Amino acid sequence: MTRRASPLVRAGFSLALAVAVTLAIVAAAGAPPIDTLAVMAEGGLGSGQAWLRTLSALVPLLLCGAALCVTFAANLWNIGVEGQITMGSVFCLWFLRVAGLSGLLPAPLAVAGSLAAAMVGGLLWALLSGVLRTYGRVHEIFSGLGLNFVAMGVSLWLILGFWKRPGMASMSGTEPLPAELWLPALGGRPMSLVGLVLAVAAFGLVAFVLNRTFFGLALSAVRQNVVAAERLGLRPKRRMLAAMALGGALAGLAGGILVAGLYHRLIPSISGNYGYTAIMAVLLASGSLRFLPLACLFFAVLTVGSIQLPLALSLDSSLAGVVQGVLVLTLFAARRLWPAGTTGSRGGGA
Amino acid sequence: MDVVLSHIVKRFGPLAANDDVSVRFAPGTIHGILGENGAGKSTLMRVLCGVLAPDGGEITVGGSAYARLNPEAAGSLGIGMLSQDPLDFPPLCVWENFALGGGPVLSRGQATARLAAVCARMGFVLPPDGPVARLTVAERQQLELARLFDRDVRLLILDEPTTGISPAQKEALFAVLRAFVADGERVVALVTHKLAEARELCDTVSVLRQGRLVGSFAAPLSTPAILASMFGSQAACAAATPPPRPDPVTEAEALVVVENAVIADEKVVLEPLSVAIRPGEIVGVAGISGGGQEVFLRGLAGIAPVVAGRLSVAGRELAGRPLTRFLDAAVHYLPASRMEEGLFPGLSLLDHVRLAFPEQRDAARTIFTERCVGRFRLTNQPDSRAARLSGGNQQRLLLSLVPDDTRLLLADNPTRGLDAASIAQIWDHFRERAAGGAAVVFFSEDLDELLDHAGRVLVFYSRALVADLRSGTYDAACVGDLMTGRVAAGEVRP
Amino acid sequence: MSFEYLTALIAAVLFAAAPLILAALGETISERAGVINLSLDGTVLFAAMAAFAAARATNDPWLGLAAGGLAGAGIAAILGLFGLILGASELAVGFVLTLFCRELAYFMGHAQARQPGPDLGALNLPGLSDIPLIGPALFRQSPVVLLSLVAVGLVWLFLMRTRAGLVVRAVGESPLAATARGIAVTRVQFLCCLAGGALAGLAGGLYSLSVKPGWGHPQGCEGAGWIALAIVIFGGWKPVRVALGALFFAAIQVAGIALQDVLPGLSGTLFQIAPFPVMILTLLVVNLRRSAAFREAARRVPVLGRLVPRTAGGAPGAIVGALDKGF
Repeated sequence: MTRRASPLVRAGFSLALAVAVTLAIVAAAGAPPIDTLAVMAEGGLGSGQAWLRTLSALVPLLLCGAALCVTFAANLWNIGVEGQITMGSVFCLWFLRVAGLSGLLPAPLAVAGSLAAAMVGGLLWALLSGVLRTYGRVHEIFSGLGLNFVAMGVSLWLILGFWKRPGMASMSGTEPLPAELWLPALGGRPMSLVGLVLAVAAFGLVAFVLNRTFFGLALSAVRQNVVAAERLGLRPKRRMLAAMALGGALAGLAGGILVAGLYHRLIPSISGNYGYTAIMAVLLASGSLRFLPLACLFFAVLTVGSIQLPLALSLDSSLAGVVQGVLVLTLFAARRLWPAGTTGSRGGGA
Repeated sequence: MDVVLSHIVKRFGPLAANDDVSVRFAPGTIHGILGENGAGKSTLMRVLCGVLAPDGGEITVGGSAYARLNPEAAGSLGIGMLSQDPLDFPPLCVWENFALGGGPVLSRGQATARLAAVCARMGFVLPPDGPVARLTVAERQQLELARLFDRDVRLLILDEPTTGISPAQKEALFAVLRAFVADGERVVALVTHKLAEARELCDTVSVLRQGRLVGSFAAPLSTPAILASMFGSQAACAAATPPPRPDPVTEAEALVVVENAVIADEKVVLEPLSVAIRPGEIVGVAGISGGGQEVFLRGLAGIAPVVAGRLSVAGRELAGRPLTRFLDAAVHYLPASRMEEGLFPGLSLLDHVRLAFPEQRDAARTIFTERCVGRFRLTNQPDSRAARLSGGNQQRLLLSLVPDDTRLLLADNPTRGLDAASIAQIWDHFRERAAGGAAVVFFSEDLDELLDHAGRVLVFYSRALVADLRSGTYDAACVGDLMTGRVAAGEVRP
Repeated sequence: MSFEYLTALIAAVLFAAAPLILAALGETISERAGVINLSLDGTVLFAAMAAFAAARATNDPWLGLAAGGLAGAGIAAILGLFGLILGASELAVGFVLTLFCRELAYFMGHAQARQPGPDLGALNLPGLSDIPLIGPALFRQSPVVLLSLVAVGLVWLFLMRTRAGLVVRAVGESPLAATARGIAVTRVQFLCCLAGGALAGLAGGLYSLSVKPGWGHPQGCEGAGWIALAIVIFGGWKPVRVALGALFFAAIQVAGIALQDVLPGLSGTLFQIAPFPVMILTLLVVNLRRSAAFREAARRVPVLGRLVPRTAGGAPGAIVGALDKGF
């Protein structure tokens, strides 16, 4: 086997094994395996509508994936993406209520401002994690995870308390926003073209920063050896905080787009597992920016397709997460069984 | 016990660390394995004690031949090794370390009784209940020896056992080894790069160079012949004549002023200390493990904070300031573990240049050619990764990344693990820096090397600066006594 | 505060702490051998589902509990296979496993959701349960409390007083030195990983069969595994201190529920998330307290300074800094 062929062999092996394991799990749960996969494929790709839904799931995944690439480049486990999305959506709605509903700003400006506010929200939440890591010695896995729960609590408290619908608090979310405060939709569907453009732009920005700038080089130095980076005067703590801030801003933007472009209100668990799914996508792409969009698209199809499962086959929609987990694990196994040769030295290869 | 290594071959990738090496360890002898760093001595010993499997050759122990051994098998054949850094469990108690002897785990009662018996026989003092982390390196060696003696080791391998212990402790260790082989049956294999040690202790010597056996000698050992085989005939002359010792500098105004400074590392806090260092000085810092000398270096470098007192470099007050201020004041530090603390294994050499000289990163390729290759004789390609550098080239890269205007250069074990050519280059470079007006402060575990190259010696013992000696006022025995607290500074003869 | 109220409070804390204690003890064994099992949260949840399903199928809660333990060991075996045998990053695999097991638990447990099922019931040991204060708290109470307390003693005994425990600690401190002394390091680590996973699996069983009986999406024990991971750090990898840490977190949960009665204006969800900020705060305090800067500053305080230990206690040698290495 040549070294060039091995990524393909690995991908093929892991995909085949993942499909086999998934089918076994589905069968073990007492469901028809082939039908289940067909329902998922149909739900994610089967129609124009399905494609729009998949694309609208792709937007937050791409943004969070890009955010995670920045933090992984600095060797940070940014588990708190979920919370950063949530805080982004909270800040976004807050800005829309203050500046948009009150008529303080014209609607387009209010929407643009709300996305900026969302980025600030995510940035602050991520910085909190970053400061706890760099100055408080609390590992970002713990702080990020804890802050995810806290962010969820904050959003619930707002939905059921401060921002509750007139008359009755409801788990279905806050009062929907008027249509002029929505991001422009594509083809009358709840799918914002602006969001997709922003996500692709953010992705390009991250690729440029990591591969072409001194900041990107410094981040990979921090990842490779934080002690040596400190000794060279590269100020690794500040670099880590900067990486967290950039990642948090992108995750926050994802939250803002979910509010202004998709749900048009704040709902409980608005982050919808996108943060965790994006981590899986980044692991599947082994931190490589080149393969990440593909991994995100695949996971978006799975996520959207599995929504049909409870109705069609009365199965739990968490099958998407199961498939993702199996795929990443089989890829890990394949990577150990056929170790690659030399990988790129900068930016990507984790 | 008769042990014979025949035609041992061990390869790491393209490199043959041992190439057709045959050595016989005769009963009742102390056999030296000599060679400079990287000659393949440790590899050969790790093959012998079963840690590495050879690619060719065989090991004959007491008449039976083996293609390879594993640690368990080697242990049951009576082969035991004392590694350079004691391979023990520092947080566990002394008796617990002893109980994990290599065979069945002992109970507490058995372990303490047998430890006491071995200690009584060998004259060691090792209280069983304290954690090993509190012992000195010499005591940790004794604990390892006690464990091996208790297992009735017949062939005892020692890998550079005198690094990190004082001359007096060395004498005690050698006495133990002589007693060990006195029965005419047991064997000691001593791995060392110091000819003097081999001459003092060994009955027979095998010399390795670049993985091959290049000479075997029996007592009386002749210095020129062994040196010639260790280094090749030309280099032997250079290695035999130590460079002139730099004169002490006394006139110039102090570059570094330390006044009642308390340096606090992650684990160790030094007693308050005061010292002044002038430009052009090459200062050696001596001390045994736990003495605090490395912490002192890190304190001067801004890595371990100065929590009280004063520290100024070229008039800049630096106590309590962050590391970047030290770099601004042109203070630079060369770590002992070069890959772990100094380099980025996955980045290219060119990226290292860019990171070290960010303002000139567009000219990185030129800097690399002129500086790293031209001046520091780095032989690697600019796009190769740092992980592939040899020890000598790692140090060359690190030296080339230190700016020319450095005022204070601190080096922790700058020559550890390097070959003779690299070592010579490093000392030449330090002398050049000192001549250019910088101060160089270094620590070396090798006391002889330290005394050869330092114009002034600061001695640390038990986390305190105990003596400040000008060159010409001391010898190795006196510094060794100070390092181990056998005499206080006031008792040193002038 | 009445005596009965105090007794009830103690009983409630011990009850809520039982699964946390088991999960944290499991992780302690695993980390003491040098294996970080980051899949703890998913393990607990999946084992809770497996235990509940098995208990319903066999109609025997104790068989269900055993199934939970087996499920936990199974997940730990996957981690061991990837981390110890294939040589993949333990942390990455553990994290993926935690997400995977959570989704798998919801998917496989779909049929069990909101169904009635057996639980472990309550003890009532005559005589012993009449002892004031601790009698009702220990012996007229769910058997899980006794189970968890016995486990603390057994794990301590194993790690600190047996030869096998000594081997485990040695492997966790320095795998290199252990290898040189002929110890089969990988085998010891694999076994400890399995044992730790089994304990975490039992913890999951305790949730679905006793502490938060039943299954659903969500079950109610989400996040408990992460808390247990933090408790191990908080307890300094020492079994008894780890158990005390678990009691501390259980007390916070119980206090939240108790306060909810006193301050009905505050939403219940806020009390549900209360342990997580507390988790971050305790880690902050513990880690800062172990830092050199703090010790140095504290030593300069008269009298108090003498109480500060001279050396940092801390993680087993094999996992020091493991979290900082990334994946």
